[in-house]
Amino acid sequence: MRTIAHAAAVAAAAIWLAGCTEVAQEPGKSYAGKEDGKPYASDLFKGDKAKWEGALAERSLKQNEYVRMQDNKK
Amino acid sequence: MARMKFICDAERCIECNGCVTACKSEHEVPWGVNRRRLVTVNDGKPGERSISVACMHCTDAPCMAVCPVDCFYKTEEGVVLHDKDLCVGCGYCFYACPFGAPQFPQAGAFGLRGKMDKCTYCAGGPEENGSAEEFRKYGRNRLAEGKLPACAEMCSTKALLAGDAEVLTRIYKTRVVTRGKGEEIWGWSMAYGGSGKLADQPGGRA
Repeated sequence: MRTIAHAAAVAAAAIWLAGCTEVAQEPGKSYAGKEDGKPYASDLFKGDKAKWEGALAERSLKQNEYVRMQDNKK
Repeated sequence: MARMKFICDAERCIECNGCVTACKSEHEVPWGVNRRRLVTVNDGKPGERSISVACMHCTDAPCMAVCPVDCFYKTEEGVVLHDKDLCVGCGYCFYACPFGAPQFPQAGAFGLRGKMDKCTYCAGGPEENGSAEEFRKYGRNRLAEGKLPACAEMCSTKALLAGDAEVLTRIYKTRVVTRGKGEEIWGWSMAYGGSGKLADQPGGRA
């Protein structure tokens, strides 16, 4: 009896924890239009996704003037 | 790549409309269409706040859910875009959007509603990147040039930020930790000294 109660508690805990999982947020609908090209496929980045992401990250960080001020002091 | 987002810091926005102008100019948006606009609350009163609003590129976008012709899609970076060749201009997305982002240009002599137009996060649309056709339909594709949206890059006070959500979170956190928050960090007392209480300011009520 005690084993069954123990197993039930473990199962209940597993089900309860499953509720913490992030559910997919993408709508289940399909896109019916034309395929769009990748932004890093241009001549500038030649398909190098890492280089493109690096360029964007650099520009994003330049929006932080606290960092910019420190860079200027150096 | 995480999700690309906008954030507008209401403590910094000075209602200059630079973001609105940058967007209109960058994409040559037609008359009557505003992809970005400013909303001001308590206009002219102490404690006035402004915020720049456009498409927020929602994670679970309601416009995508209601579109009857499925013309919306989401890029790998989380930017919500649409195919104008497929759009029928029904206006469902306008009713679904909590930010009023979808815009409809007047087409024809009798003011017929044209195809939907909205903020593209400067990522163009489903045409060849950087092509004249893409510019004509969706505006300039700055993301393919490794640049951020023009509105955010143009913002003089850096109230409007754009980029990867994690980077934006770090920038905003640095700001709040450095400057503090609430009434005491911006406004009359910061500019002119003295009491920070609204009631003590000219025109303020107790």
